[in-house]
Amino acid sequence: MSELARAIEILLVEDNPNDAELCIRALKKNNLANKLLWVKDGEEALEALFHTGRYAGANGAPKVVLLDLRLPKIDGLEVLKRLRGDPRTRLLPVVILTSSKEDRDVVEAYELGANSYIPKPVEFDPFMETVSKLGLYWLVVNRPPGI
Amino acid sequence: MRFENRYVRPDGADVELSWTAYFDKAEGVVYATARDVTETKRIEAELAAHRRHLEEMVDARTAELANANKELEAFAYSVSHDLRAPLRAVDGFSQILVEDYGGKLDAEGQHVVSVIRDSARKMGQMIDDILAFSRAGRLEFKQQAVDMGALARATWEELTPARGGRSISLVLNDLPAAHGDPAMLSRVWQNLLDNAIKYTGRKPDARIEVSASAADGEMIYCVRDNGVGFDMAYVDKLWGVFQRLHGAEFPGSGIGLAIVKRIITRHGGRVWAEGKVGEGAAFYFTLPSRKDAP
Repeated sequence: MSELARAIEILLVEDNPNDAELCIRALKKNNLANKLLWVKDGEEALEALFHTGRYAGANGAPKVVLLDLRLPKIDGLEVLKRLRGDPRTRLLPVVILTSSKEDRDVVEAYELGANSYIPKPVEFDPFMETVSKLGLYWLVVNRPPGI
Repeated sequence: MRFENRYVRPDGADVELSWTAYFDKAEGVVYATARDVTETKRIEAELAAHRRHLEEMVDARTAELANANKELEAFAYSVSHDLRAPLRAVDGFSQILVEDYGGKLDAEGQHVVSVIRDSARKMGQMIDDILAFSRAGRLEFKQQAVDMGALARATWEELTPARGGRSISLVLNDLPAAHGDPAMLSRVWQNLLDNAIKYTGRKPDARIEVSASAADGEMIYCVRDNGVGFDMAYVDKLWGVFQRLHGAEFPGSGIGLAIVKRIITRHGGRVWAEGKVGEGAAFYFTLPSRKDAP
């Protein structure tokens, strides 16, 4: 339960451990991974953000949520919907980070209130560069809403 | 006066008679003739039933086709989507191997890893191509007037990075407007012009000419280049999926022309090509004029 003690800056919601490992490696390179929490499905993501279940007693909010769309139990768009539907998380910056480049997914994500939509590059170098840029932007450049 | 009526014959059979009657007031008589139209009526009814049945069949087939296409697209989407993740792992982790264990890899080891990464990249490209190909055949597409000249010109501009600073002479003649889906036709221009740019890569005086002519209810468009050309013996292979007539000296996965063919066929047109090794190639596609468009 040490997760409760430290303040999380990034919540990574990703069911694929390989993609998660690549993501964390990219963020580590820029020293952005120290305060990262990785969860593997939508249900755990919601528990971590609403401080319920396994995360009861936790507090605070991350600066950004990196959210994959295809997740077991509760999928990405449903997680997004619930976040935007709750006053505690309505303004939380959410970046969709997904394999899908489909227009319909992009549009729906924005309609549901995503702040940004990043298709995951297949190739390593662009992937690393994208995640680094993304991490730097949302953690260093961007001002979160201080929720 | 005329009327039709149905009667039952003594033997129980139905009969339809068409009467023409005339009342002669002066003489106080009614003249009447009856014509047995039973057979005619039966044939007409059958014809109507056949026509309805045919229409129902066409509707059903169209729905089946639309469904099959939708299933294909959904399949291509999910396959391409699901394949991207492990591909990313192959490319990513082999690079991690180089970064973290590169010191322990000799030149051969480094070469092995670069082959792995190169193959992953190619596979990624093929996945995207399959998706593009499956989309090129979708039934619902827009039907509107398309300014082919403007479209070709705009595509040429978009291909500026592909031209890589080379000076290529483009002759863009007047092109008649076409009727079809602008996004798909844009793709056709993109693939044909990109090919022309690519295969004239070795020609210092590269020249690409776009022209068109109208004949017999259709418009024929042509993209001609003076590049490396191809052997006419293999002309039919040009249009196959992932079929290439050139090797690694010209990059490409061999889907561009397959997509062009699929799009043009969907518009009710034809494609063909002519080429001469070392001299150049010309690619033609037709589009039916408006009234014949599907």
